[in-house]
Amino acid sequence: MIEFSHVYKNYDKNYILRDLNFTVNKGEFIFITGHSGAGKTTTLKMLIAMEKPTHGAVKFMGTEINEIKKREIPFLRRKIGFVFQDFKLLPKRTVFQNVALGLEVSGVFGDVITKNVSELLKAVELYTKKDEYPLSLSGGEQQRVAIARALVQNPQVLLADEPTGNLDEETSKIIIDIIKSFNNKGTTVMLATHDKHLIADTGRARVIDITKA
Amino acid sequence: MSFSFFIMLFFLLCYANIYNYMNIFQKNSVMIVFLKSGAGKKNRQNIINFINKINGIKKIKYYGNKSSMKFLSKRLKNLKSVLKNINPKVMPSFIKIHFKKSAVSSIFLSNIYLRLTSLKGIKLVYYNKMLENKIIQFMFFTKVIGFILFLFLLILSVFISYSAIKLIILRKQNEIEILRLIGATDRYIRIPMFIEGEIGTVLAFLVSISLLYLIYKIFIFYGFDGFLKFFHIRIIFLNATQIAVVFLIALISGIAGTYLSSRKFF
Repeated sequence: MIEFSHVYKNYDKNYILRDLNFTVNKGEFIFITGHSGAGKTTTLKMLIAMEKPTHGAVKFMGTEINEIKKREIPFLRRKIGFVFQDFKLLPKRTVFQNVALGLEVSGVFGDVITKNVSELLKAVELYTKKDEYPLSLSGGEQQRVAIARALVQNPQVLLADEPTGNLDEETSKIIIDIIKSFNNKGTTVMLATHDKHLIADTGRARVIDITKA
Repeated sequence: MSFSFFIMLFFLLCYANIYNYMNIFQKNSVMIVFLKSGAGKKNRQNIINFINKINGIKKIKYYGNKSSMKFLSKRLKNLKSVLKNINPKVMPSFIKIHFKKSAVSSIFLSNIYLRLTSLKGIKLVYYNKMLENKIIQFMFFTKVIGFILFLFLLILSVFISYSAIKLIILRKQNEIEILRLIGATDRYIRIPMFIEGEIGTVLAFLVSISLLYLIYKIFIFYGFDGFLKFFHIRIIFLNATQIAVVFLIALISGIAGTYLSSRKFF
């Protein structure tokens, strides 16, 4: 499903990624690990065409991402949900509106939005807070909203960049459990983290250390 | 943006008034053909027929000796008593020609002048050649200046609109980034900006036209145009077509500014 082959990435003369090679199969749970500045975020960003490899190829569903035309990038991003460490929620929109945004950009409106968003908010246990604004929520709750928004388009892959980076241990566990539950339903997950406890708690997940891959 | 449209409308108002004033001159463009005293009825009819065949003639009127006297006494108003005891037969008979505004040009008038003077039975053809030429030149000049001004203000309003949208984009940069990350197309992001830009343009236009109308009304109300009346100049406000044209330009400049800005920043 996902393939990184001989991927290099440098900024000026500093190589962040050197000959990165790995594949991810459908339904897998992958931890991307490595020390700070190792290129975990860059690796994930390459999958949604936010970054381009200096050399090598990044493939998603057999298509080389580097060759996708600019106007086709939004359609790629609808297939890949992205959860950020800093949540990236719109503060002037309610929880419901933030999650619904994921569908609105795809041209979905009306009852479908109400149904899908409500289901997801129930799944992340935030339905009762659907009319609240992100800034009135705790960090963990905001991250759950971000997960719901990333999953509302029913993506094939969920990418999570340090999703628990700003959260306490207990909240982190809740977030990982939610992500695992969606993985169990068939969504491929790639989660970038440097938290070794998090990796130890997740049973069948595969770990890819990008400094060694 | 409002300030830009106000300047645009103000210049247009000045231009419209100058144009209107010149137009009145041009509309009243006349030529007087004095007939020889001995010219017979047949000869006179031939001249009238000849003039009638010329393209660009609005109307012609023949004045015989008596009607010529009446015409003169009407013009003299309070001084008409000086005409007392004057035999109307000494008055010249003449033909007054009014031209269509659209046909008037210096070449056209000179051409008619030459053709008429060559006709039998015509004593003198009079028209204020210098004044006509000056008016025609001035009309051309105002058209050129108006066009240059129009282009300049159009570019200015596009630039102002561009800058206004640039500020909106910079303010919403975070939101735009999030929208793009979750798969929004550029079109999806741009449409609300176009709407916002156009609403801003319409509001700016309404403010500027209202302000200009208010200033115009104050100008008229306090009689600041009194000295202009001395020169038979009446200040007019922009008509519906002129306002509609500027409104359309405002909308187009709003769209152009938004498009250029959104193309540059994302």
